[in-house]
Order: sequence, then structure tokens, then C-alpha cells
Amino acid sequence: MSGYRFDRLRLLVVDDNVHMRKLVVTILQAFGAAQIYESADAQNAWAIARETNPDVIFVDWMLEGMNGLELVRLIRTSPVSANPFVPIVMLTGYTQLDHVLQARDAGVNEFLAKPVSVKAIFSRLLSVIEHPRPYVRTTNYFGPCRRRRVREEYTGPERRTNENTTFVDANEQKMSA
Amino acid sequence: MSKKHPIEIFMPPNILKAKVGGTVAGIDVAALRRAEAAVETLKSDFQNWIGDDVEKLAAARDAFAKDHSELSRESLFRCSHDLKGQGQTFGFPFVARVAASLCRLLEGVQVQNIPVSLLDAHVDAIRVCMRDQIKGDSDQVATMLAKELDARVTELLSPAAAAR
Repeated sequence: MSGYRFDRLRLLVVDDNVHMRKLVVTILQAFGAAQIYESADAQNAWAIARETNPDVIFVDWMLEGMNGLELVRLIRTSPVSANPFVPIVMLTGYTQLDHVLQARDAGVNEFLAKPVSVKAIFSRLLSVIEHPRPYVRTTNYFGPCRRRRVREEYTGPERRTNENTTFVDANEQKMSA
Repeated sequence: MSKKHPIEIFMPPNILKAKVGGTVAGIDVAALRRAEAAVETLKSDFQNWIGDDVEKLAAARDAFAKDHSELSRESLFRCSHDLKGQGQTFGFPFVARVAASLCRLLEGVQVQNIPVSLLDAHVDAIRVCMRDQIKGDSDQVATMLAKELDARVTELLSPAAAAR
């Protein structure tokens, strides 16, 4: 096998719809993943995430009880989170821009609007593996940097300056967002 | 910008890349093909599964008709939202389209103003589509029906209707 060794990853798939969950798990298994944890709800997913410390989490937005966004915020900001930096891919039937922005502001790394396909899942995995983004903590946000690219045409106020920005060695610091 | 709004930037080590190894050029094409084949198998199974989800939708519709509550609306919305995503994913675009229209109705209109007749029209359309295995946009009657349902929902969502 010359491609990625997905068999070395622990993955968590959270979706209350058994068919969608089965689809995502089947695709990941076909990629070679062997350690896949499943959850139908966010509470159980939170327990699994703390216990198993997965390498990537796939989570549906719409879950009964605690929803996907709330789970993402918990993983990013709880002091007892196993890994606040864990890459999270959000699956959803929502496609409007305001939903994408809400997911981004909760700390999602990648957004996958249904239909779910092999290519779509692979491209999101590729993105988190090959193009990881820095993580940012401000007074009201912790998660992947929300700036996908440098906008040269941007002429508004620059919030990040030498005075207020600190570059932190993530190896040395135990996160407590 | 003062230090009142401090910003910390972290670049965690790329553990994921270290674990999976490989290169972009080394994408395992066989694994992708295997995944595509597995999905095709699931799609054929889905024709059996979706019947259960349509029945769930019908049950949620009955509950909503009995009790126009926020809870029953949410349950109905969840069922239709599921069908929308599954229809798109498993090759039932007509189901997805009608379910999307139903989602708009349930999301955009106040609970007490949701007409059960329009709700029923959506549920029945999805049922007929399943019974007759209508999958694409090629069925003219189904396409017209979907357009009509969309138009009715849009009409209800218009500012004039909201003011009534």
C-alpha cells in the first residue's frame, strides 16, 4: 500500500442517523481505517473522545440533545478535553453561509455539506493531514485559525499586531482554553 | 490595537501526518476504488432502509397533527432533514428536494401557522416517490409536483403571508 496508513489512526464518527453513520464508517474502513469508534449522540461521543483521544472526529451538526456544534465547543474549550487541537470535520445537511460561519466559529476544521461522497471525505482528510492550520486563542474563541488565506485586497483594521499577538509553542503548553 | 485583546497563536506538531505517512502523490487509488464500490453496495441497500425513515417521517407528521408543539415540530424537522441528507447521498434527489422544501416550511413558518395539508402533500410526495422508485429529475410529474410544493412554501414564507 503506497498511500496513507489510515490503519494507524483512531477515528470517531458521531451521527444519530444509523445509515449516514454506516456510510461514513464504510468509506473510512475502505480507506484502511481499523480503529473506528461510533456514537449516536454527543454525550456518548464526548465520553469516547475523552477516553480514546481520537486523531480525527467526524460529527453531524444535528444531534438529539447536545448538538454537534456544542460538542465541538466542548472538545475545544473544556479543561478536561483529551485534545483541544483534534481535527474535527462537520457533516451537515445545512449549506447556507451562516451555517458554515457558525461551524467555523465553533472551532470546526472542515465543513462537509451533504451529499457525503468518497471524494468529499477523502478531500477533508487530505486537508487536515496536509494543510493543518495554526490554532488561535482570543478572548472569545479557541480553534483553528479562521483565516483560510491572506486577502491582499483587505484594507480594514488589522486585529493581529506585534503588540497583542503571542506565538506559543504548542508542544510545551498543556492547553486550557 | 492594545493588549486588551490578546491573541495567542499555536502551531501544533502535525501528528496526523507523522502517523499516516505517505505523500499526496502516493494516494492509494485502490483504496478509493474500494470505497466507491462499498458505497455503491450501500446505495442498493438503502432502498430498503429508506422505507423505515419514511415511516418515521409519517409518524412524526401524525404526532405534529395531533399536537402543534415546538417539540413535535423539531421531531418532524429532524426526520425531514435526515431524509434530505440521505436522499442526496444515496441517489434519491427527488426525495431530497421535497424533504428540503419540508425543512424550509418547518423552519420558516411559525408552528401554529404550518398548514397540515401542505405538510401532508410533502409527506405523500415522498411516499409516492419511494413506492414508484422515482430517483431523478426525469419524471415530469414528480418535477412539477416538487416545483409546486416549493412555490407553496415560498408563498407562505413571503413577508405578506407572515404579516397575515
